[in-house]
Amino acid sequence: MKKNYLILLVLLLAPFLLSQILWAKIYIDIRSPSFRKFPIALSPFKALTPPSQDMKLGERGREILREDLDISGFFSLLTPETSPEKTGGIPSPPGEGTAPESPDFQPWANLGAEALVTGVITYQDGSLTLEARLYDVVKKELIVGKRYIGEMTDLSRMVHRFADEIIFALTGEQGFFQTKIIFVSTAAGNKELFLMDWDGRNVTQLTHHKSIILSPRVSPDGTKVVFTSYKMGNPDLFIKDLRTGEERRISSYPGLNMSPAWSPDGKRLALTLSKDGNPEIYTMNPDGSGLVRLTHNPAIDVSPTWSPDGQKIAFVSSRGGNPQIYFMEANGQNVQRLTFEGNYNTHPSWSPRGDRIAFDATLGGGRNICTIRPDGSDLRVLSANLGKCEMPSWSPDGRNLIFSSDRDGQPHIFLMDAEGTRIKKLTFQRGSDSYSYWIPRAREPK
Amino acid sequence: MLKKSSWWLVILVYVVAVGFLVTGCSKKSMIKDEAAGRQAPAVEAKKEAPPAPMAPPKEEAQPAPPAPAPAPEAKVEAAPPAAPEAIDLVGLRLQFAFDDYSLSSKSKENLEKLAGWMKKAEMGKIQIEGHTCDIGTNEYNLALGERRANSARTYLEGLGVSSSRISTISYGEERPLVPNTDEANRSKNRRDEFVMAK
Repeated sequence: MKKNYLILLVLLLAPFLLSQILWAKIYIDIRSPSFRKFPIALSPFKALTPPSQDMKLGERGREILREDLDISGFFSLLTPETSPEKTGGIPSPPGEGTAPESPDFQPWANLGAEALVTGVITYQDGSLTLEARLYDVVKKELIVGKRYIGEMTDLSRMVHRFADEIIFALTGEQGFFQTKIIFVSTAAGNKELFLMDWDGRNVTQLTHHKSIILSPRVSPDGTKVVFTSYKMGNPDLFIKDLRTGEERRISSYPGLNMSPAWSPDGKRLALTLSKDGNPEIYTMNPDGSGLVRLTHNPAIDVSPTWSPDGQKIAFVSSRGGNPQIYFMEANGQNVQRLTFEGNYNTHPSWSPRGDRIAFDATLGGGRNICTIRPDGSDLRVLSANLGKCEMPSWSPDGRNLIFSSDRDGQPHIFLMDAEGTRIKKLTFQRGSDSYSYWIPRAREPK
Repeated sequence: MLKKSSWWLVILVYVVAVGFLVTGCSKKSMIKDEAAGRQAPAVEAKKEAPPAPMAPPKEEAQPAPPAPAPAPEAKVEAAPPAAPEAIDLVGLRLQFAFDDYSLSSKSKENLEKLAGWMKKAEMGKIQIEGHTCDIGTNEYNLALGERRANSARTYLEGLGVSSSRISTISYGEERPLVPNTDEANRSKNRRDEFVMAK
């Protein structure tokens, strides 16, 4: 009897399992050691705008997509000036409005492309529409097609959304092109919190404390930020709801209240307090209750960061004579030293993939961003000749890092991949930018 | 030539600063209870437009080694005899070595002067501000700045100053005295400052 039930169950489930497998065809196995960059072509985007409003929408749209796909590191990009198709590059008459149902794939195949992206941007009566499609050039079929409608200022966000669709359709992984970065800037005079898209676009100011704000860390669900502010005189911890703007002080013990870090489940905060006479690591609930002390050492212990499984906490300690990275169980047991090379190693950040810990160090001829495996092996110095590089934070997919660098005088926020090769400057405003923290998920704060 | 004239400038600025302090304090010593509240602004004003801190960097543009020593000494000599009630808190600033919070003999000397004055003044509170240079991230530097402030606090308490008259705050690398452009400047930023508190 039991056997029969089992067979029946398998028979019933089979179509679902099968369709799941068929649906999730992986074009690019980014985890494979034999991974090669996937050749993708971006056809020039067509722009259908009234003749007086040629704002190079097509060029701008394709350039944003090119930057996104390039940063991912998965693609070799083909971006010809004009389409190799015979009819390519000539906008269809406005009446028709959409891209041709199927492009002529042969010229794209001849260029070596295995996938093709086409886009049509329409701007009419204050409304912007992006219609974008991703094709399999080899099979000559549509993989994904989307239409986005919004305002003129939404162009980059529309393109980012389609870039995420491309990443998901080809790799099966979530892209980060709709995520945001929170950071501290003196653009408005004092050190205040700012928010921007991951690529540096759409910068907005979040706080007006007119004091000193440090160390913002956003909750894993993207809705709240905890940070240190001297607003009330002492360095206290505040929590701010990114949707409502509501703000509360959650920790104001005598001395330092700083360097908060959210546990991966968002239920606890690790932090540094010096209320017991000396900076130690504690954990507490995000409302300030349930305080537990983790470290007991007369040296300085600061800057905790959780492993993505929530089992361990890495932190900075001067117990060995100068600041180095240590880690322990999340309950404070079993403290071990992680770094032995480098001087003044601070600001650890545990990769969301769990495989590496980034930190800044005086190593390799200056202040540089380094990464190391959690077992202490394979130390790498990533930044070089970029000035003073500090405060690394990982991208949500663990393939990129943001950090501050004073290469151009004042510190600004930069992005690089985990190998330290592709480098992109993200902030250009007046003043100094620091404490960048890559927000794990896309949420629109109101 | 330049050297001589700039020394005169330093002395001039100094005399003006001390003058300010003396007039400010002598007024206060006339008033009794309310003075505690007013004491802070007088010193605050001095701190915001600091003639003394501006002087040392100017001097060090010239031969570095002899400059820093005479400046604080001149201050210390000038201030106490002029008016026993006045003290040049800026001149008592403590310097620290890199990643270190131990007190040098010079620092201890300054703290002894401060403790003597505080015991004589019998009222007034001071806040000790711990500062660092910009090497390393500020989370660590805030901790280091706090240790520097605590070193001074512990020493003052050991000299008999009531702990209720001392408060501490760390600004880490957030409030540099001079831009962290080179090692000489960074070294100046590794310091404790004293300000009057309410």
